[in-house]
Amino acid sequence: MSMNKPMPAPTEISAPFWNALKEGVLRIPHCNACGHWIFYPRRHCDRCFSHDVEWRDVSGAGQLYSYTVARIPTLPDFADEMPQKLAVVELDEGVRINTTLVGLDEAEIRIGMRVKPVFDKVRADGATLLRFTAAEKDFPARVDSTPEALAAEAEAKVAAEIAATSVRQVRFDDEAAMKSLVSDVFTPWSTQVVVDQALIDEFAKLSGDDYWIHTDPERAARQSPFGGTIAHGALVQILQSRLKMPLGFEVTGFNNMVNYGSDRLRFPSPVPAGSRIHARARVKSVEKLAKGMQLTLEVTTHVVGNERPSVINDLVILYM
Amino acid sequence: MGLKGQAAIVGAAQYKPEKYATAPRMFHLEQVADLAARALQDAGLKASDLDGLVINGPQFHEASVFVPAMAAEYLGMRLNFAEVVDLGGTTSVGMIWRAAAAIELGLCQAVLCVLPARMAPFGPEEDPAWMARAMRFGGHSTAFGAPEAEFDLPYGHMGQNTGYAMIAQRYAARYGYDPAAMAKIAVDQRTNALTNPDAMFFGKPLTAEEVLGSKMVADPLHVLEIVMPVAGGAAVIVASKEVAARARNRPAFVTGFGEHLAFKSPSYAAEMTETPIGPASRRAFEMAGLKPGDVDAAQIYDCYTITVLLTLEDAGFCEKGEGMRFVREHDLTWRGNFPMNTHGGQLSFGQAGSAGGMSQVIEAFTQLAGRSGDRQLKRCDRVYVSGTGGVMSEQGALILQGA
Repeated sequence: MSMNKPMPAPTEISAPFWNALKEGVLRIPHCNACGHWIFYPRRHCDRCFSHDVEWRDVSGAGQLYSYTVARIPTLPDFADEMPQKLAVVELDEGVRINTTLVGLDEAEIRIGMRVKPVFDKVRADGATLLRFTAAEKDFPARVDSTPEALAAEAEAKVAAEIAATSVRQVRFDDEAAMKSLVSDVFTPWSTQVVVDQALIDEFAKLSGDDYWIHTDPERAARQSPFGGTIAHGALVQILQSRLKMPLGFEVTGFNNMVNYGSDRLRFPSPVPAGSRIHARARVKSVEKLAKGMQLTLEVTTHVVGNERPSVINDLVILYM
Repeated sequence: MGLKGQAAIVGAAQYKPEKYATAPRMFHLEQVADLAARALQDAGLKASDLDGLVINGPQFHEASVFVPAMAAEYLGMRLNFAEVVDLGGTTSVGMIWRAAAAIELGLCQAVLCVLPARMAPFGPEEDPAWMARAMRFGGHSTAFGAPEAEFDLPYGHMGQNTGYAMIAQRYAARYGYDPAAMAKIAVDQRTNALTNPDAMFFGKPLTAEEVLGSKMVADPLHVLEIVMPVAGGAAVIVASKEVAARARNRPAFVTGFGEHLAFKSPSYAAEMTETPIGPASRRAFEMAGLKPGDVDAAQIYDCYTITVLLTLEDAGFCEKGEGMRFVREHDLTWRGNFPMNTHGGQLSFGQAGSAGGMSQVIEAFTQLAGRSGDRQLKRCDRVYVSGTGGVMSEQGALILQGA
């Protein structure tokens, strides 16, 4: 999850609720005067106005009151959750909670279905959101969706994909074979890298580009249209080297391989600090030159979930 | 209880809806003065007739507090009654009845109800990025301790689309859903807009296939079932019977109103498919001594097609759960047997912020005054107007009647 996603700021009133979520417990206020359950947390009962209210643990069992599937992110930062399965759950105690559904295909969702809570750790400091899944679903009650955990998950998945993909060996001077690599279809997604503030700061130091929109999270939170800092385009461009991609071919037989630069380099959309990025590629063209064989690889790097690339790079490689 | 029908709308002015990017930039105070002058001219009244002001508090560019006093000073008005209204999309309806009530109480004789909704010129610290930042969370509070900041935004519950979509989904689960009937609401309103040169979508016919083929934003709402935000602004003058008698137009007397609200997020409604427009409309009809079937036209706040559907049901134009059938069985155009949103509705006219709802009030007034041109109803003496703010969280209704 991007660091620019809005995060709850617990208050003195609500802290017991958020602290309990970190422990995998759902704790909500209950009115001793009239027996009403209260959500969201308040110091008074929103039925009888009594202040004789105490915290109690509940199971989290309930039913789906309503939901929608958002096809356009409600905020760009939610691109990695697309499509968003926004929901209202009614606990058996009668209170309703705005939440999202996890571990369910769209076709499995129906209003009135029984649901159970999923405690989702979303930040390294333990901050946890309350999501829900179907009661009968075999889905863990506690999940870790910190960017680091999700990137590690993707790493394992892509590693398995790469291991399972047969790699076609192509001699660099076999023009017909090289040209057959040209395709309109991109490779599957690469592994992921978390572009966190530390990485951005290191790049700012290295490059000398320390503009506040990259390096000053407090100012960026106040003044940036993106709600926080964003990575340098050039940083995202070079991070491509860290991404392992299931290309499906290997060029062989050459004496020398030269990175000849780029035919096209664009930064169409920002990468907010804390985002996960991944990339995919396709061979755009192959051309036989006097010097050797020139291959243009179109690599697009995206924030995970965002259809619009953050970097488009037509990388030109010369095999000699 | 309620109004005696002694106050009436006598004049109105409205900027033609325009895209934000190309609309003129004017300070809100400047717009208020401009709209006031135009509305006075429309009414045939003088500036000195005005002694009341109802204005928007939120989103007023030049001030967040002391708005009426600043506006009175800027315009040069002496006021016996001043008020801000903060009711989102039902601000317009809320302004009209507050003005009428103040007049009937004898506080004042003519009230300017005004909603500037063009963008102000950018200041030295303001630029498009500043705008984008200001718009990032739309109508949501991100203040420390704001319940929505803490319990909605972190989950991506924000904006209006998904809230309305969830209401529609629950409606579908309870009563069934006919996407074609929902599309017909947008299509019939577009037919109306084709007679209104001021409408954003004038000259652009629309078919049900196009509505249903347009992009799904949040199930089950397509993009063509959702209003387009535009720049605009509106002013209406409400005056006493005595002032109305010397005004130029046939007055539209305010004979009934109602207002109801209990939550901001519809998730906390007792039942999200039974909307506040129900109690608001019952009160309005009762006050006017009319039944829903008695009106000649309905100008129904239409930020989404689902808003119209639920208003038709909850205001009593048809039974609960029968709205889709009602839409299928009626011609909602100005020529039809249930004239509704005869200016095109906001879906086809455009939604100029909280002034969007004033387009419905002004259309009701224009129809009652017999000044609607090509789309003029043959008979128009009683009109129902609704307003909807938030996610069907704050709603109001008016009954307007020709003398």
